[in-house]
Amino acid sequence: MKTLDKNTSAGAPGRQGRIADPLGANSEIGRKLRQYYDDLVHDDVPDRFAQLLSQLEQAEAVQDKD
Amino acid sequence: MAVSPGFKNDLLKAIPSLRAFAVSLSQNVDKADDLVQETLVKAWDKHESFQPGTNLKAWLFTILRNEFYSQMRKRGREVQDSDGLMTARLAVHPAQHGQLDLEDFRSALERLPEDQREAIILIGASGFSYEEAAEICGCAIGTIKSRVSRARARLQEILQISGDEDFGPDAISTQVMTSPVD
Repeated sequence: MKTLDKNTSAGAPGRQGRIADPLGANSEIGRKLRQYYDDLVHDDVPDRFAQLLSQLEQAEAVQDKD
Repeated sequence: MAVSPGFKNDLLKAIPSLRAFAVSLSQNVDKADDLVQETLVKAWDKHESFQPGTNLKAWLFTILRNEFYSQMRKRGREVQDSDGLMTARLAVHPAQHGQLDLEDFRSALERLPEDQREAIILIGASGFSYEEAAEICGCAIGTIKSRVSRARARLQEILQISGDEDFGPDAISTQVMTSPVD
């Protein structure tokens, strides 16, 4: 789901509404910025992070037994 | 106090956004992954200082950002230039027919100073409010606003996008697109 539809990609809904949004749907810079960022967000996440969190969790479980 | 399973799940869910922010800041995937790892470890250690009900993503972004700048200070200013990023593509084509190439955009973004880049990413892409972005960056809201506006102006300049609003085959962009592409 990477469509940069004008209706859905205008940033945080309601939050920036008061300011005439200079990075909104009508801005080429705004559109590219979201496209750039959305691509990064949708990148595959390496397993190492989930493993890291599991290790932290296990380390804590061991500590708690003491 | 033990870390709750909910906290762990929330951290897991935040990883894609954290990585995106880390890559945007460091412009380097390996460095970004190290930043994310460091951030997760710190968040885990400091979990008690997180107030449930407040914005976890903003809290994590703050940790990641602090880590980024502290690593940068340690390494000196070599961080950004070490991989030849600045020299990689000095020339950026003018936009053509309203289609701005994403690669050109990326290289333009690399050329912004970090403070401007992070501001425009937080506001324009990560979905934070100006208040939240100011808190993440530890500065005033007005400072964020001015960084965003300078970043946007600079990107427009680099990418030779004319005008503030929509972009298209209007008079001004036609003038700008006089130089041949490639």
